[in-house]
Amino acid sequence: MSVPVRVRNLEKTFGRYPALKGVSLDVEAGELVALLGPSGSGKTTLLRAIAGLEQPEAGQVLFGGIDAGSLSLRERRIGFVFQQYALFRHMKVFDNIAFGLRARPRASRPPEAAIKARVLELLHLVQLDGLEARYPAQLSGGQRQRVALARALAIEPRVLLLDEPFGALDARVRKDLRKWLRGLHQRTGHTTLFVTHDQDEAFELADRIAILDHGRIEQVGTAAEILGHPATPFIDSFIEGIARREARAREWTKPHAVAGR
Amino acid sequence: MAMSDRVLPLAHTPERATTETAATKAVLIGIAVLFLAAILFLPLVTVFMEALRKGWGTLFESFGDPDTLAAIRLTLLVAAIAVPFNAVVGLAASWAIAKFEFRGKNLLLTLIDLPFSISPVISGLVYVLLFGAHGWLGPWLQHYNIQIIFAVPGIVLATVLVTFPFVARELIPLMQSQGTSEEETALTLGASGWHTFFRVTLPNVKWALLYGVLLCNARAMGEFGAVSVVSGHIRGLTNTMPLHIEILYNEYNFVGAFAVASLLAGLALLTLLAKSFLEWRFAGELAAAARRH
Amino acid sequence: MPYLTRRSIALGAAALFLSLGAAQALADRALLNVSYDPTREFYKEFNAAFAADWKARTGETITIEQSHGGSGKQARAVIDGLQADVVTLALAGDIDQIASKSGKLPKDWAKKLPNNAAPYTSTIVFLVRKDNPKNIKDWGDLVKDGVQVITPNPKTSGGARWNYLAAWAYASKQLGGDETRTKEWIADLYRNVPVLDTGARGSTTTFAQRGIGDVLISWENEAFLVQKEFGAGNFEIVVPSLSILAEPPVAVVEGNARAKGNLDVAEAYLKFLYSPEGQKLAAKNFFRPVDPSSADPADLARFPKVELVSIDKDFGGWAKAQKEFFADGAIFDQIYRPTN
Repeated sequence: MSVPVRVRNLEKTFGRYPALKGVSLDVEAGELVALLGPSGSGKTTLLRAIAGLEQPEAGQVLFGGIDAGSLSLRERRIGFVFQQYALFRHMKVFDNIAFGLRARPRASRPPEAAIKARVLELLHLVQLDGLEARYPAQLSGGQRQRVALARALAIEPRVLLLDEPFGALDARVRKDLRKWLRGLHQRTGHTTLFVTHDQDEAFELADRIAILDHGRIEQVGTAAEILGHPATPFIDSFIEGIARREARAREWTKPHAVAGR
Repeated sequence: MAMSDRVLPLAHTPERATTETAATKAVLIGIAVLFLAAILFLPLVTVFMEALRKGWGTLFESFGDPDTLAAIRLTLLVAAIAVPFNAVVGLAASWAIAKFEFRGKNLLLTLIDLPFSISPVISGLVYVLLFGAHGWLGPWLQHYNIQIIFAVPGIVLATVLVTFPFVARELIPLMQSQGTSEEETALTLGASGWHTFFRVTLPNVKWALLYGVLLCNARAMGEFGAVSVVSGHIRGLTNTMPLHIEILYNEYNFVGAFAVASLLAGLALLTLLAKSFLEWRFAGELAAAARRH
Repeated sequence: MPYLTRRSIALGAAALFLSLGAAQALADRALLNVSYDPTREFYKEFNAAFAADWKARTGETITIEQSHGGSGKQARAVIDGLQADVVTLALAGDIDQIASKSGKLPKDWAKKLPNNAAPYTSTIVFLVRKDNPKNIKDWGDLVKDGVQVITPNPKTSGGARWNYLAAWAYASKQLGGDETRTKEWIADLYRNVPVLDTGARGSTTTFAQRGIGDVLISWENEAFLVQKEFGAGNFEIVVPSLSILAEPPVAVVEGNARAKGNLDVAEAYLKFLYSPEGQKLAAKNFFRPVDPSSADPADLARFPKVELVSIDKDFGGWAKAQKEFFADGAIFDQIYRPTN
């Protein structure tokens, strides 16, 4: 079900401001990759271009060998989670999660009983059993985040794309959710890309990290690779804080729990 | 004792401050209520009292006049065309402005506001200049024997122009504040454009839309200036209720004039009541929609 | 939402049906008479009489549609395309405008019907409040200090121009034809006008309904109508020593009538104005009939004898008067300054 994603020389400008300057990236099937960079580095634009929400001026996105440019948004089958979750505010949790299934053309739409079973299964997966009748406004931030994830998973996406998935949560919830997401990924095995500006988050969660700056990918690698061999002075300074914490952590606990693959 | 004398007023200061606020509040509320009573309520009551001056019998008799009935019919017809039209076009324009980036967007925004800023008389004259016998399209229309001004189409057009901003102006700020992420989510989940529009966009703005439609309707039924210019004032044919009120008034038929006026005011009040009822009935859903998440 | 949409569609359809039903109920032919303000009551009666007469003679049911407004404004609407079959306006000048700007009727339209195409005449009188508290007898009393005069704006109202010319004729006669002093006298008169309405009917409601002013310079028929509507005891008519003969003309707008296939009925309609029945109805509604023989003597007795000047003899016709007094920058613009 999961497919590899290949990005080839993507170019995108907004007005005169270049957001992506020839970005290429390979993501293997089932891999969890972080797009890390300061704000304005182009990481969200890259994620949206992969999703098909932005039309790049040049370059290609391939889903397992298929040119995604030839696919409609529906055919791409992307699970996309927005930073603010973008839950449908006038729908109950159940209807939010069922949306993608109900939106299918009549011929391929599952019967309502199957939809119901699937939604309850997903609610269980994201540990929100019993909350299907709530409105989004009646949920906590972390709960909304998980509803958004369940809604994205309902369409059995080829690729899961998360934009700042923990950006709107407070620090404690964020830590818990991080662990939980890592566990979820191990169980479901979706090819997943997520955008973050938080180095700790990227290094703790991702199999590999792509660091962007000014519309270019400066370095792609595992946490150990990047920490061990920063490719450019920018990376060096950008990961400085992590490197210091890592060094400290290594002294206390060996072997360290980060950057495992 | 000297000590406590000095301390006491100090201790009382905050209490007195609140009393003063309460007094100020009362005065402000009083002014607002008086103002509303004088400016809004009193004239409204006068309208109904004038209509009833010669009793209910005369009041109902004035609605038996065929010209009055024709004016009521025409007003309802014009509103029935102009309001749905403006609701649909206003929704489309708001959608385009709030959800997309394109060249000339600011120009479009200004154009939408234009009917608010120009005098309705000008809005009417524009159509005379366009469709009048000596207007730009006049000769062409005459050739095909199409009558626009001094007929129902002209009245509908003038009403549409004057009432256009009501729906769009309600929707644009709301749609802009809601952003595009819900629609984008729906699209990535495989929904078609129509499905997204009817299941996501429309439900999110339905209260603003309804409010805009009600305001639009109130104005469409009440518009005088623009309609007066293009009406031709043919009795029983091109007089809307507001125009007919003026005619009855000028004919010294004050009961008739105020009878139609009170009907018009009644329709406006009904519109507001409908809005309040819907707000009350769906209060929970409204609150949920208003809260940001 | 779908509920609302469905309801609006249903409402629209219902309204459409109602209006179609109404249209169905109408006769095949409808004649549109575009007229000026003070003729409403007269034409209401006259139209019914004509429709009955036409039905009796031809068997056809005819509907007459009426539009009323300021004479100049109505002429403008016809020029802009209002499909009038006949126009019955306050001034020949307004019909001249239609003839020259739209070409829908010949320039010599006034020769098509007797008496310069004016089937009835009127004049200008004063209306004062009960018991005439300011003791107004003649034009000279209107320029006195503390007298408030109500008259519409001659730039927009036909009736107002007759008012103005009557006043001018009086002053000119009193002052031995001295134009400078006449102008000053007229300026004094308009200094006493607190409100300039745009039309004759507007001035009448200002005076009678809103209670502003001491004297209304008014069409004779309008003054009688106020007495009828507001009770004869509340207002008095004062006839000045000199007034003007107003000849409100009528004409078939041939271009429109022909296009609508109404030429025959339009011509018959205007001819009926000159018929004994038409003349009688005019007198009944306070217009002076050109042929008094068929009018009710009681109606005729209401019209006082008054010395009348004429627009053609004393002012050289409407075209000249318009240019001299009412065009932009002409005498009225020179003398009139708003008082507040």
